[in-house]
Amino acid sequence: MSQEKNQKQYDVLVIGGGIAGQESGLNLANSGYKVLIVEKDLSIGGKMIHLSKVFPTLDCAACITTPKVSECARNPNITILSNSEVLEIDKKGENEFDASIEKRPRYVIEDACTGCQECEEVCPIVVDDEYQWDLVGRKAVYIPFSIANPRVAAIDIENCILCGACEKVCSADAIDFTQEMEIVNITAKSVIVASGYNLFDPTQIERYGYGKFGNVITSMQMERQLVPTRPYNSVLRPKDGKMPDNIAYVLCTGSRDEVVGNPICSQVCCMYSTKQAQLIMGALPMADVTIYYLHIRAFGKGFEEFYQQAKGMGVEFVKGKIGRIAELENGNLKLRYEDIHEGVVKEAEHDLVVLSVGILANQLPRDLFKNNNLDLDKFSYVKQIDELSNPAKTSIDGVFVAGAASGPMDIPDSISSAGAASSETASYLRRSK
Amino acid sequence: MTAEKRKTINVIKEKRTVNPEVQEKRKEYVKLKKLILKALESGEKTIPQIAEEINIPIGDVTFTLMSLRKYGDVETGEIDDMDEYYFYNLKKK
Repeated sequence: MSQEKNQKQYDVLVIGGGIAGQESGLNLANSGYKVLIVEKDLSIGGKMIHLSKVFPTLDCAACITTPKVSECARNPNITILSNSEVLEIDKKGENEFDASIEKRPRYVIEDACTGCQECEEVCPIVVDDEYQWDLVGRKAVYIPFSIANPRVAAIDIENCILCGACEKVCSADAIDFTQEMEIVNITAKSVIVASGYNLFDPTQIERYGYGKFGNVITSMQMERQLVPTRPYNSVLRPKDGKMPDNIAYVLCTGSRDEVVGNPICSQVCCMYSTKQAQLIMGALPMADVTIYYLHIRAFGKGFEEFYQQAKGMGVEFVKGKIGRIAELENGNLKLRYEDIHEGVVKEAEHDLVVLSVGILANQLPRDLFKNNNLDLDKFSYVKQIDELSNPAKTSIDGVFVAGAASGPMDIPDSISSAGAASSETASYLRRSK
Repeated sequence: MTAEKRKTINVIKEKRTVNPEVQEKRKEYVKLKKLILKALESGEKTIPQIAEEINIPIGDVTFTLMSLRKYGDVETGEIDDMDEYYFYNLKKK
C-alpha cells in the first residue's frame, strides 16, 4: 500500500457520487469551488443510473442522470475518485478537514482504456453480475454497465484466474496488474455527506422465500428487467425463462416492520411499484399485476393521479398483509395473506412475485469523523439538526448532508436536498473566507 | 513499453494464488456452456427443452443461457405457441 505524499486541497469533499452527490457537487463547481467526489463504486451515478423510468412522469431515468454524470466528469472544477472510499476525516479547525481516502486498484489504467471490451470477450470467467442484480453473468474483467462513467474496465481480482488473456489482447496496453491499493490524503474546507441508502435484504424475511424460490425477485431485479439494457430479452422468470402473466407485488418488504428493525416508511415503494406495474402492462400487455399493500402513500405531486392511472390500466390493488409465500411444483408461488378489507385469510397463486424492498440507512458516515461526533437520528440516518431553517446542517460545523443520507426520499426530494446542501456549503465557505 | 506491460500478469502471480473455488466454478460454467451450445446445434429450443435434454437444473440453464446471450453466443428466436417460452438459437458468427 503506497502513501501519496502530496496532499491535495479542495473546497468541498463530497462523499458519494449518486444523484445527490452529483447535484451538490455540480452546483458548487459551477460557482467556482473545487470539488472532490469520492465514489465507492466503479462508476458514479448511484442507484438512479440503474433505474428504468422515474415516477410519476415516466421519464427515462438514464436520460436524466447520464447528462448529469457526464457534466460531473467534464467539469474542470470536479475531480472524481471512483472505486474509492473515505476512511477517516479529521477536522483540524475551521475550514480544515483532513481526509484519508482508500483508492482500490482497478488493474486497468483509466486513461489508457478505450472501453472496447476486447478483454471481456476473451475472459473465461463468468460470475454473477451485481449491476444486473445477479440475474445474469459478467466476466472477471468487465465494464460495469454500458453507461458507466468512467467507461473503463475493471478486474475483479477475487474471481480472476490470472490467465493473462485480457492483458494479451488489450491493444491499448491498459491492463496493469502491478496496481496496488493507494491511500490518498486530501484537505477540504467543507464536507458534504451524500452517501445514500442501502436496500433491505429480503433474505431476512425467510417466509417470503427470497433466495430459495427462484421466481421471487426484488423490485430492483424487476427494475433491471424493465430497462433497455435488461439482462434478458424480455421480462422473464429467472428460474425457467417463462414469460410471466400473473405478477404480484409485496409492498413494505422490510419497511414499516418493527420485526426486522425498520419501522419507517421507505417513501418510495408504493410509487415505484405502481410505476413498474404500469411498465409491465406495457411490456407484457396480457399480464395481470396485483399489488398487495398496507396503505398507499401517494403523497407527492401527481402521485394520486399516478395511482389512479395504474388502477385505470387494470392493476389490481389488494389491501392485504402477506403471511407467507410457498413455491409450487411448476415454479408458481402461492401467497397466503390477510385480506384487510374483508378480515379473512386468503390464498392466491401468481407466477412471479416482486418484493418491494425498503430503504435502510447507510452506516458509512457513522464512524467517519475522528475527534468529532456526527449525530445520527434513531434510525441511523445523518441527523439534520436544524431541519426547517438549515436542512443540510449536521452536528459538525462545515459538514452538510444531502439526499437519502438524511432519510428515505425520492429523486426530486434528493435533488432539492442536494440544492440545500450546496447553498448552505457555499454560504459556509463564503462566511469563513 | 509494450513488452514491459505484457509481463504484469507475472507480477501479480507472484503475490496471489487463485482461489480453488473460482477454478471449480469456471469448470462448471465451461461444462454447462458446452452442453447448452451442443443442445442448440440441432436447432432452436426453449429453456425447459434444453434443461430436459441436458438434465441440468433449469435455473442454472437460464442463468448460463442468458450469459451466453449477453456475450453474443446465443440469440433469441420467436416465442412458443402458448406465449410462454422463447426459443433460443446459436448465433451465426
